[in-house]
Amino acid sequence: MPNSRMMDPEIIEQYLKIIYKLTEEGGQAKTSDIAAELNIAPASVTEMLHKLSAKGYVKHEPYRGVVLKPKGRKIASKVTRKHRLLERFLADFIGVKGPTTHQQACKMEHALTDEAEQSLCRMMQHPDKCPDGREIPKCERGITCDKCTSCDVPLSEMREGETAVVSHLISRDNDELCSMLSMGFVPGSEIRIEKRVPMGGPIIISLKGTKVALSRTRGDVLHVIRAG
Amino acid sequence: MEIALAGNPNVGKSMLFSQLTGVGVIASNYPGTTVEYSEAKAKFMGLTLTVVDLPGTYSLAGNSDEERVATRLLTERRSDSVIAVLDATRLERNLVFLFELIEAGYNVVAALNMYDVLRRSKLEVDVPKLERILMMPVIPTVATKGEGVDSLLYTSVQIRRRSGFAVRYDSHIEGMIKELERVVQPEEGGPPVRSVAIRLLMGDRSVIDGASDGAKQLSERFRDEFRRTHGEDIVVHIQRDRFGEAGRIAGEVLSRAAAYRTRKSIAKDITLRPATGIPILVGVLALMFVILVFFGGLLEGALVHIYEHTGGVFFHDLGTQAGNHLASGILEGISLSIEAMLALVIPYILVFYVMLSVLEDTGYLVRVVSLLDGVMHRLGLHGRAVIPMVVGFGCNVPALLSTRTMGSRRERLILATLITIAVPCSAQTAIIIGSVGKFAGAWWALLIYVILMGMLVLLGLALHRAIKFEPTGMCIEIPDMRWPSAKQSAIKTYIRLKEFLTIAFPLLLAGSIIIETLLAYGVLQSLLRPAAPFMISVLGLPSIAAVALVFGVLRKEMALQMLMVLSGTGNLALVLSNHQMFVFALVMAIFMPCIAAFAVMLKEFGLKNTVGVAAASMALAIAMGAFANLLLKLS
Repeated sequence: MPNSRMMDPEIIEQYLKIIYKLTEEGGQAKTSDIAAELNIAPASVTEMLHKLSAKGYVKHEPYRGVVLKPKGRKIASKVTRKHRLLERFLADFIGVKGPTTHQQACKMEHALTDEAEQSLCRMMQHPDKCPDGREIPKCERGITCDKCTSCDVPLSEMREGETAVVSHLISRDNDELCSMLSMGFVPGSEIRIEKRVPMGGPIIISLKGTKVALSRTRGDVLHVIRAG
Repeated sequence: MEIALAGNPNVGKSMLFSQLTGVGVIASNYPGTTVEYSEAKAKFMGLTLTVVDLPGTYSLAGNSDEERVATRLLTERRSDSVIAVLDATRLERNLVFLFELIEAGYNVVAALNMYDVLRRSKLEVDVPKLERILMMPVIPTVATKGEGVDSLLYTSVQIRRRSGFAVRYDSHIEGMIKELERVVQPEEGGPPVRSVAIRLLMGDRSVIDGASDGAKQLSERFRDEFRRTHGEDIVVHIQRDRFGEAGRIAGEVLSRAAAYRTRKSIAKDITLRPATGIPILVGVLALMFVILVFFGGLLEGALVHIYEHTGGVFFHDLGTQAGNHLASGILEGISLSIEAMLALVIPYILVFYVMLSVLEDTGYLVRVVSLLDGVMHRLGLHGRAVIPMVVGFGCNVPALLSTRTMGSRRERLILATLITIAVPCSAQTAIIIGSVGKFAGAWWALLIYVILMGMLVLLGLALHRAIKFEPTGMCIEIPDMRWPSAKQSAIKTYIRLKEFLTIAFPLLLAGSIIIETLLAYGVLQSLLRPAAPFMISVLGLPSIAAVALVFGVLRKEMALQMLMVLSGTGNLALVLSNHQMFVFALVMAIFMPCIAAFAVMLKEFGLKNTVGVAAASMALAIAMGAFANLLLKLS
């Protein structure tokens, strides 16, 4: 059934990734170029582009080409990032040579989880280019690479009795950020998880001799590095 | 001259205020009691001082209600002197707050409070050194014992100047401040340009709204630029630098590194473990209830006795003197309503407030807040909502006012709706106890409470579904448990009662005068007559009960009295069956409590919301009553 194939997220990702690559330096992606990349007939590409456009991933102008819309760009840059990190890994760490690097990465990129992607990026010490010299898109974590360490976890993952040091805070809400900062949750401050109140209750943290109850929903704002 | 008191919550600020002015101000062991501020006059060295107690806040930059009130008061009043009340045992965090005050250009004097606690843990602060570093006076105080209070007042009257101390931020931020300072228009008598620049950078809405377009755009650009290059919000770095500076200073002036006392481990706190905490909570609530009924009843008897010999006689004489039949009728009615209020409202409210103060003072209430936070989240609220709910069992009016401590307007509205509908106030409790509890038995009364609690949960869930939004998270300090002090509890009860007598009581009295007049002229009866048949058929109540019921919408505390007057007997069992009493009490408990609650809601939430909630409460009450009637008839 062609229809069920169209819904396959892997194929959507594949298309978006190719459009991303073709429009990376500006301009629009032409149907014929996409077809050449995928090695299939331009007619089927056109059909797929209509679907993608209907779903709001791309903007499709007949005879001119397609560009990514923000919704599509988000997915595309993530897949591209995974793809290029994997290429880097295959080429530098394992020594895979030639066009198979690209082909293998194409298959692996869809299976790679976000956590694995993060760890891979850290292990390779945050490369910024793929083996072909193309830019690896930045991750969406909103922190700098020097802050990105393997032991930084959101507060909500900490267990009772553990101690940690605040690494950074992530929040889109300025008020939320301010209120937590003024209580003393600044990068570098030492904390101890005193208790996780059951029934979805708050996490009780001791911070410089004060005990603070923090709603579990706020636990993801605070990222910490386990001590010891 | 005017002195303002500012500081973190729970540092003994209100205690210091009452020491300075000699007036009792509420100070409780849970953070954030003072949302409105207190003000008092004090005589000192021939001067009349106005002392303003600001709500306790952790910062001046935030956007919570307390912070907004504090910032607004500070900027509007520009008090001659600001006393920064610091908790000496938590010097670091308190210094950060002090930095903000200094930065904003106030004439600050610091009170190093709770100095006795610091000394007890064998620590000492090098005060002269701290004064040199901060370039301002620092006075160690013990507010609970009044130590250092005179010296603090003397200093703040004598020394009025700005400190030259300033926190240095990292070079990138300093560069941005410099550039912003150039575009900020200095204001006569206003805050220093540096402070305006910093607050612009922090995205402080109160400053941004008043800034020029140039300054707005520049600060916006800087914030974006900072986020791009550092990957973190600029406020994080500003606060980090402040805490860094505070930590350095604390390290220099403390006799040895502040080894924080190993307080009782909270992990073993039985009030926070559901297996033990929930039984404890139920036990505490049950105990409160028993005390309320027992002591409330005792007080009620005493007050009624006193009134009958004083006020009752006075109004009766007044009525006879008036000679006019109508006037004496009205006077008689007013006298009866005052008696009803004395008998039904004040005893229970008083007892309830004493208990509430004790719960707050010990620090138990904040533990309940933590225990129930997760559950509250499912109702679209957070743990702090427990406090207004508990307050609502006393009187819904202060409960509605205290919803202000909630984060968003939507949370406030949900909470207010739950309180008016499903939390019975002491007048409603008195009706339940006085009718069902007295004549039909305690189990029937308990059943009403169970139904109300069930409604609270269901209504919360439904409202949470209907009004889609993410509840804001809670971030609250948990103080150590301590024994309540009799003096504190007495002061607090006194202030709460005074607040009730000045806000809710006049409204109730005015309402009763109007209603008595309408009754005397027979207006009310004829208005209510058409509703009676409906009540009889739907709720299965005799017509006299129906009149009392409709009457109770306006004046809850009088409904039971009315029922007794209309039936001509104090023994309700003669006129109402157990089932009828149950329906009557249930409907009364769900209805919006009284005109005073309506008025407060109107003030806080506007006409549309208030009418909506009132209509919903009536519809729900009648629906529940009809349903109960149907069920009881079938059984």
